[in-house]
Amino acid sequence: MRLKLDPRTKLYMILVVSAVVLMSATTTFLWTVRIIMTLIPVILLVIEKRYSSALWFAFLYTVALIVTFMFLSEESTGIFKALLTGYSGIVVQFMPALITAWYVVRTTKIGEFMSAMQKMHVPDGITISLAVVMRFFPTIREEYSAISDAMKMRGISLGGGNAVKMVEYRMIPLLFSCVNIGDELSAAAITRGLGGEVKRTSVGELRLRAADWLLITAFTAVAVLFVIFKYIL
Amino acid sequence: MNGNIVKIEKVNFKYKGSEEGLLKDTSLNIKKGETVLLTGASGSGKTTIIRLINGLIPHYYQGDLEGDVEVAGYDIAKTELYELAGVVGTVFQNPRSQFFSVDTDGEIVFGPENIGLDPKEILERKNDVVREMHIEKLLGRSLFELSGGEKQSIACASVSALLPEIILLDEPSSNLDQSAIRKLADEIRLWKSQGKTIVISEHRLWYLKDLVDRVIYMDHGKIRHEWTGGEFRSLGKTDIKKLQLRPLEVKDILSASCGCEGECGMECGMDLSGTDTDDGIMLDDFFFSYERKPYLFWKKQFSAEDENLTLCIPHLVLPAASVIGVVGKNGTGKSTFLKCLCGLEKDCKGKVEYEGKTYKGRERLKLCYMVMQDVNHQLFTDSVGAEVILSMETEDNERVDEILESLGILEFKDKHPMALSGGQKQRVAIASAMAASAKLMLFDEPTSGLDYSHMEQVAKLLQSLASSGITVLVATHDPELIEMCCDYLLCIENGKTGYMKRL
Repeated sequence: MRLKLDPRTKLYMILVVSAVVLMSATTTFLWTVRIIMTLIPVILLVIEKRYSSALWFAFLYTVALIVTFMFLSEESTGIFKALLTGYSGIVVQFMPALITAWYVVRTTKIGEFMSAMQKMHVPDGITISLAVVMRFFPTIREEYSAISDAMKMRGISLGGGNAVKMVEYRMIPLLFSCVNIGDELSAAAITRGLGGEVKRTSVGELRLRAADWLLITAFTAVAVLFVIFKYIL
Repeated sequence: MNGNIVKIEKVNFKYKGSEEGLLKDTSLNIKKGETVLLTGASGSGKTTIIRLINGLIPHYYQGDLEGDVEVAGYDIAKTELYELAGVVGTVFQNPRSQFFSVDTDGEIVFGPENIGLDPKEILERKNDVVREMHIEKLLGRSLFELSGGEKQSIACASVSALLPEIILLDEPSSNLDQSAIRKLADEIRLWKSQGKTIVISEHRLWYLKDLVDRVIYMDHGKIRHEWTGGEFRSLGKTDIKKLQLRPLEVKDILSASCGCEGECGMECGMDLSGTDTDDGIMLDDFFFSYERKPYLFWKKQFSAEDENLTLCIPHLVLPAASVIGVVGKNGTGKSTFLKCLCGLEKDCKGKVEYEGKTYKGRERLKLCYMVMQDVNHQLFTDSVGAEVILSMETEDNERVDEILESLGILEFKDKHPMALSGGQKQRVAIASAMAASAKLMLFDEPTSGLDYSHMEQVAKLLQSLASSGITVLVATHDPELIEMCCDYLLCIENGKTGYMKRL
C-alpha cells in the first residue's frame, strides 16, 4: 500500500518537528510526546518501503536515547563522556528533523511540490529555487561518487594526509560540474516555459485526505502540548 | 510569410567575454515542414544557430547580436522565452542535465503545466505522446535510474507534449549507443510525418542521411555549403573526408548481438584467434554484482555460481601493447567491466597478471588508469603541471615536460585545467595517467560528441600510447573510431565476453 500525502502536510511536519526539537524536553511526559512524534516519520518511511534508512535511523536514535538516560547525567565528567554527550545530544535533538526532511525529499515529486507551493501563494522565485535544490540532491550524489572514484584512481582520497587538500580536491570538480549542469538545466527548463507569467497548472490533483488531516491534527497536538507544558504550566 | 518559418537575416554574434565572433553575417531561411541538418566542426556555429532559433540567444546566453531572427512570426529579440515554449521545442545534447523533474511522468507534463494548459488536456497530450512514441514502459520511473537512451526518449516526449511547430535537436546522439540512436531516428521520422519543422545539429551522419531534406555545412561561423538531401546522400567518401565530416555509412558492428545468453562461465562463441596466451595481460575471476545479499559478519566473494551477476569473466587475455575496442549495448556491463578492472569496485576480487606479476585488489589501481567520459571529474588542481605532478611518486619536472610535450600540451603547463577545451582536458587526464606510469589505460567513450578531426586526433593518440607499450582498452559506440585505431575488438554482453577478435 502506498500512502500519498499532500506536500503541504509534509512541509507542516517538517515545521513542527524542527520547532519541537528546538524546545528541550524536560519532563518524562515531554520526552514521551517527543519520542512518539519521532516514530511517525519512521513509520512513514517503512510504509514507503525504505527499510534501510528507517532501520538505521531507529537504531541510532535508540542507542542515543539509551546512552542519554542510562549512562549520562549532569555529573558526568571526562572526555569520553563529553564526546558521548555530544553524539547523543546531536542525534536525539536533530536527527528527528533530519529524518523527516529525508522522508519528504525522497517521496515528493517536484511537480506536486511546485503546485503545493503555488496553492499556498508562495512567490514563484522561492518555489523555483527550492524545486531546483530538490532536483539537485541526486545529481550531487552522482557527481560526488564519480569524483570519489577518480580520486581513488589517483590515490589521493586522503589528500596525501592533508585535510585541506582532501576537501579541495573533492569540492573543486564538484563545484565545476554542478555549475555546468545547473546552467544546462536552467536553459532546458526555460525553453519549456518555466518562469513565465502564465499561471502554472498541475495534473496532480492536490487534496487533503483523511491521512493528511490525521497527521496535521497529531502534529498540531504535539506542538500545542509542548508549548503548554513547557512554557505555560 | 512566404513559407519560411525561420528567417535568420545577416546575423553577427559574439558571446560575451569572447573576442572572436561565432557567427559572421549568416543568413538562413527554413521552410515550414523542412528537415534541416546543420553539420561541421566543433565551434563552427551550429549550436549558436540552434540557440538563435529557440531564443536562448539573446535571452539566456548574452553577447553582441546584430541582424534579425524571426521564428514563426515572432521577432525573437522582442519575444520572452516563455512565449516561445509552445512554438519551439529543443532536445539537448546531455540527457543528464535537461530534465527538471525527478520522475518520468512529471517530466512529460512539465512543459504543458508551465504554459498553463488545462489539466485534462495535459493528460490527453501525455497519453497521445506516450502511445505514439511507444514509451509506456518508461512511465512511473525515476529519471535517475534510466539509461542515457531512455532519458533521451523522455526528453523527446516532453518536447512533443508541448506540440511545437519547430523542433530543434542539438547533438542529440552524443551519449547514445547504436540502438538508442535508431530509436531517436524513429522519433525524428515521426515528427517529420506530423509535418513539424526540424533542425538538427549533429556530427553523426549515418542515422540522419535518409531523413534530411537539406544539409548545411558550417565552418568558422559561416555557411560554406548547402546540399539538398539527395545531393548529400550522393556525396562520395573522399568528399566527406575532405570536409572533415564523419562517414555517411558505418559498419554495423555495435548493435549486433554477440550471442551470449548462456550461463556464466560458458564460452559463448569465444573467438580468441590471434591472442597469444603467453604475451598478454591475463584477467582471472572477474565477478561482480550490484545486487548483493546482506551478510552480517563477512563479505561474500562473488563467484561464477552466483545468480544475477552484472559481470562474469572467469578468464580473459588482453593482448599487450595494443588498442582494444570494447563494444556492446548500453547497460550491458562495459562500464562495470572497466570499473572492476581498474579496482574501483572493491567487492570484485579479480586478479590481473602482467609481466609475471599478479595484481590484486587495490594494487590494480596502480597498474590501471581510467580516463572517464566526463573528464571534469578527474582534474583536481589549479594548473596542468600540478595535475601531472600529483600523479607522480616523486616530483620530476623534466618528466612532466616530456609527457606534456609528447601530448602536445606543453604550452598550457601553467594554465588552469578547467580553462582548456574538452579535448585538451582529455589530454591532461592522459598525461596524469602516464605520470602514474599506468600500463593499462581504460577509456570510457572518449569520442562522444567529438567531430571528425578531433576523433582522428584521439585515434592517433590511442595508437601512439599502444606503440609506447601501454595496453589501451576503449569502450565506445563509434564504429568510426574502431575502424581508425583498434587492433582488437572485445564484445561484452550481459556481463560476459562474447568474442575477442583481431581486426
